[in-house]
Amino acid sequence: MLKLEGVSAGYGAIEVLKKIDLEVRAGEIVTLIGANGAGKTTTLMTICGFVKPRTGRVTFEGRDLATVPAHEIVRLGLVQCPEGRKIFPRLTVLENLEMGAFTREDQLRRSPDGKGLGGAALRHKLRTDLERDLAEVFELFPILADRRGQAGGTLSGGEQQMLAVGRAMMTKPKLLLLDEPSLGLAPLIVKRIFDVIETLNREGVTVLLVEQNARMALKLAHRGYVMETGEVTMTDEASVLLADARVRDAYLGE
Amino acid sequence: METLAQQLILGVTNGMVFALIALGYTMVYGILELINFAHGDLFMLGSFLALTLIKVFDLPTASSATLLLALPTIAVACAVFGGALNWSVDRLVYKPLRSAPKLAPLVSAIGVSFIFQNLGLFWGGLPLFGSAKDASAQKDVPALISNVNLLGEGAHLRITTKDLMVIVSSVIVMVALYVLVRHTRLGKAMRATAQNPAAARLMGIDVDRVIGATFVIGGGLAGIASVIYALYINTVHYQAGFQNGLYAFTAAVLGGIGNIPGAVLGALVIGVVRALCSQYIGAQWEPAVVFGMLILLLVFRPAGLLGSHVREKV
Repeated sequence: MLKLEGVSAGYGAIEVLKKIDLEVRAGEIVTLIGANGAGKTTTLMTICGFVKPRTGRVTFEGRDLATVPAHEIVRLGLVQCPEGRKIFPRLTVLENLEMGAFTREDQLRRSPDGKGLGGAALRHKLRTDLERDLAEVFELFPILADRRGQAGGTLSGGEQQMLAVGRAMMTKPKLLLLDEPSLGLAPLIVKRIFDVIETLNREGVTVLLVEQNARMALKLAHRGYVMETGEVTMTDEASVLLADARVRDAYLGE
Repeated sequence: METLAQQLILGVTNGMVFALIALGYTMVYGILELINFAHGDLFMLGSFLALTLIKVFDLPTASSATLLLALPTIAVACAVFGGALNWSVDRLVYKPLRSAPKLAPLVSAIGVSFIFQNLGLFWGGLPLFGSAKDASAQKDVPALISNVNLLGEGAHLRITTKDLMVIVSSVIVMVALYVLVRHTRLGKAMRATAQNPAAARLMGIDVDRVIGATFVIGGGLAGIASVIYALYINTVHYQAGFQNGLYAFTAAVLGGIGNIPGAVLGALVIGVVRALCSQYIGAQWEPAVVFGMLILLLVFRPAGLLGSHVREKV
């Protein structure tokens, strides 16, 4: 589904990624672990088109992403839930979630479903789809329903992370990229978020998960990649990595 | 009592014009954190276009029915002019500096401001306005809107057709802006981009287009303001953008820069304070009082009247 082949990328004179290869197949949860500064976030930014690869290719469902502008990538069914949440602080919870559905109107207009629809019918369909998907998010994160009228910036860190995941869900992604969803959160909330990731995956969403919390990530994922200073140094089944002495030593604190 | 009421009317009317200019400052700041110093001079060029059109179509001799049609048309023309010019400046000057340090576009904006002032000077020297030697002189705008008191000439209080024109047209424009920002897709995209451009892009918003649209809208508002101003104050001058721009910018800061209702509130406060000051303290004290008030406010409320520093939790 997603393929990185020999991708190098960086900022200015600094090369962060050095010819990395990575693949995510449809239906999988793949995790990318590694220390701070290993290049995990840069990998996600390169996939999303914020950083352009200097060499190599990023393809999504066979399509080369080199020429796709960053704001078009979400329309292909690929969305990132960024590190540090990046919610819209002065929009309400509901408006934040609706931003996740921002591209739907023109997508529906172009799709075979929407082609024949008139203005009123189109708006009706958008509205009912939106209500249905909002209900789905609220079912997974009931606290967001209680806070729907509150400004995003007033939520707690855990609630903001739920909002960020909910907002990403509203884009109806085929592939969800998650950057450090557990960062700075209480264990109970991390567990809640990881449960939701598992649920989403069972419902057919493919996941690429970047995590500092390597143990939890490897337990959840099917496969894993280990990154060190811009290179992929190991890749295997998650259970194999979990048992690997070097991984245990370096990332699991044993 | 009547003097006070009269000064309030004057203050609100002036404040409305400042508000239309202040909106352009605050919207661009909200989205780019750029103080577009050329904005006041864009407003000035708009007023030159308005006067040019008034002269070219010989409106002083036109019937009131013709005026009723011609003046809104001029307002639209100046709005298009202001929007197009502001958009072009962004494309040519600010956009290439998007990833440069914030100081670079700021200094460039000051440069654009000087270029605009010189364009205004050149425009004022065109044969249409008389001798080229008088390019820097103030140009009179014919009185097209009547100055009769709507309350009857004997009344103590004066509210003229002109005052009404300023207030009604400004309010219409502001309501239109409010609807655009709150209830359209573009408005949603603008608010999201102002709050977090990276996240907006992840959600599929074309941030460059949103920025372009913001410049068009801000410039359009300045264009409309310039027509209202020309018809209200009845003069046009190549340096008029500097002073009015400075007051409008102060209004935007006073209200909370980046905050749209704040810009309108700040402008009304400044308009009223200026009017009261010139009545009760002396006109020469206006700038000192207005800027003194700004400094005091910023000491106690650094974010401005309506600005809020939402502390983002991490």
